[in-house]
Order: sequence, then C-alpha cells, then structure tokens
Amino acid sequence: MSLHGWFMALAHSPLGHAMQTSKWDFAVVEMVHLLALALLGGSVLVIDLRLLGVILRGESAWDLGRDLGRVLLGSLAVMVLSGIALLSEEAGKCYYSPAFRWKMALLAGAVVFYFTLHRSALKQTGNGRPALWARVAAVVSLALWLGVGIAGRAIGLL
Amino acid sequence: MPVLQHLCQLLYDSPIGTAIRESNITFPVIESVHVLSITLVFGTIAVLDLRLLGLVLRQVPVSRIARSILPLTWTGFCISLVSGFLLFWAEAAKVYWNPAFRAKLVLLVLVGLNPLIFHTTIYRGVEEWGDLAVFPWRARAAAVASLMLWSGVIIAGRAIAYFT
Repeated sequence: MSLHGWFMALAHSPLGHAMQTSKWDFAVVEMVHLLALALLGGSVLVIDLRLLGVILRGESAWDLGRDLGRVLLGSLAVMVLSGIALLSEEAGKCYYSPAFRWKMALLAGAVVFYFTLHRSALKQTGNGRPALWARVAAVVSLALWLGVGIAGRAIGLL
Repeated sequence: MPVLQHLCQLLYDSPIGTAIRESNITFPVIESVHVLSITLVFGTIAVLDLRLLGLVLRQVPVSRIARSILPLTWTGFCISLVSGFLLFWAEAAKVYWNPAFRAKLVLLVLVGLNPLIFHTTIYRGVEEWGDLAVFPWRARAAAVASLMLWSGVIIAGRAIAYFT
C-alpha cells in the first residue's frame, strides 16, 4: 500500500471515525499531546543547556542526559501515539499539508540526531566543559525540536 | 453591567484589542509564543517536581536544580503572562463568559499559591532534608500539586477555544 493509502486507511479506521465525530475526543487527545509536549520541551531544554555549559555545570552531562532522556523518550512515545490519533482526524488533509510534511521531516531529523551525534556529544562532555562541536550539537538539537513544535503549530493555521 | 465585564468590553473595543483580533497573523503568532512559553514553564517546573518526587536526577541536590531551573521557569512565565494578556486583550469581551477561561484564572491563582507556600515553609528546611533518599511528604505533595495544577492550566487553556 502506498503512503497515501496508509493515511486514508487511518482516516477511515474506527479511531479516525471516533476522532472525526466527537469534538471532545479530539480535545482530550490534543490536551494529552500538549502536556507531553511540555514535558519533552522541558527535558530537551535542560539537557541542551547543560550541554551548552549554561546550567548544572557541576553535573555530568552524560548522567543528566540519560536520566532526563527517559522523560524525553517517554513523552515522545505519548506524543507519537496521541499524534497518530490527532492525525486520523484529517489524515487526508495532513498528507498534503506542507506544515505536516515539515514536521515529520524535522521530527525524523531530531530523533536521528538525538540517538547519534547528540548522544556522543553528551558522552564526550561527561563531567567537563563542552567542546565547540558539542555546543553546536546542543544548538542543533534545540533548533530541531523547536522546529518540530513550530511546524506542528502551523498545521492548524495553514 | 458589572465592573469587570465593562472593563473587558473596553479592552475588547480598544484600538489595540481590535487590531490583534482582526489581523490574520498577529493573533496566531502571539498564540504560538504563548504555547511555547507555557511549554517552557511547565517543562522546567516538571523537572524540579519529578526531582522532588525522586523520579529523576536523584544524584543532583534539589537546591542546585532549583537554582538552575527556576530562572528558566520565570522567564517562561513572564513571556506567557505578557502574550496571554495580549490574547486576552483581543478577546476580552468574549472570554469573560468562557467557563474554561474562568477555570484557568482560578487554577493560575492556585498554581501561584502552591510555590508561595512551598518556599516559605518546607523548602526553608531543604538543607536538612535535601540529602534524604525520600523527601518529606509535604515536599512531595507540593510537587504533585504543582504537576496537577499546571496540567490543569494547560487543559483549561486549550479548552478555551472549544467554548467559543
């Protein structure tokens, strides 16, 4: 099945039907999505500010990243699941929405970056001061996650 | 007309309120800033609350986390207050009747009282309990209250749009 086919199948699934017909189903899922966004945003910010050497300089960047990384990934899981439900409400429209496509591309970028370069930046920094490239990694990470949020906000506006 | 309602109508009819409301770009941009700044507030305060509950960063002293994180929380709070007031300005006469908006204001008062009580009572003794494996129940209760109240603020805030 093509990607468009998957989107249409989601729109016509029982989940999509529930989200399309009940205003409050959509509202509740959207609120869950927002709450998880806040948790994700907070953990990303604290991790990246440590990586930049702005806050909690006395703590190991690696330990902090691993600990708050659990909050980050937990919220991300909630966001993906609630996001699929939100998508099912108008999957056909989202498929063609440039904001949605940007959001998915940035999200993929943010997740891949998190598990690769960002991870090694945290590991290399450890208890010490961040190298220049680690600080660049922190800025890239912040920009990617912020981009996901802004593109997400734009889905409803464009 | 009650004084508050009259005030809301004045704001609503003012040139600035009208300008924000009638622009296609201004309102959504302010709204996006508002959402992002609330993310900053809740996301950072949640890290501190989760630490108080002993769920994250157990090896870091809570006072050090508070010192690093609270300035971020306050920054977010100031931005959300200003952006929130601008949004209110544009919609004042309408949201005056909005039950979700009213609930949000009540929750904001409560969410403000919580740290006030926390910082003037139990947090004063942080030197004594900061090293314990499990914090006193009052510290944990403050953390749970903060998480729930801020969640309530976000839920009520999002719900405003569903009542108009």
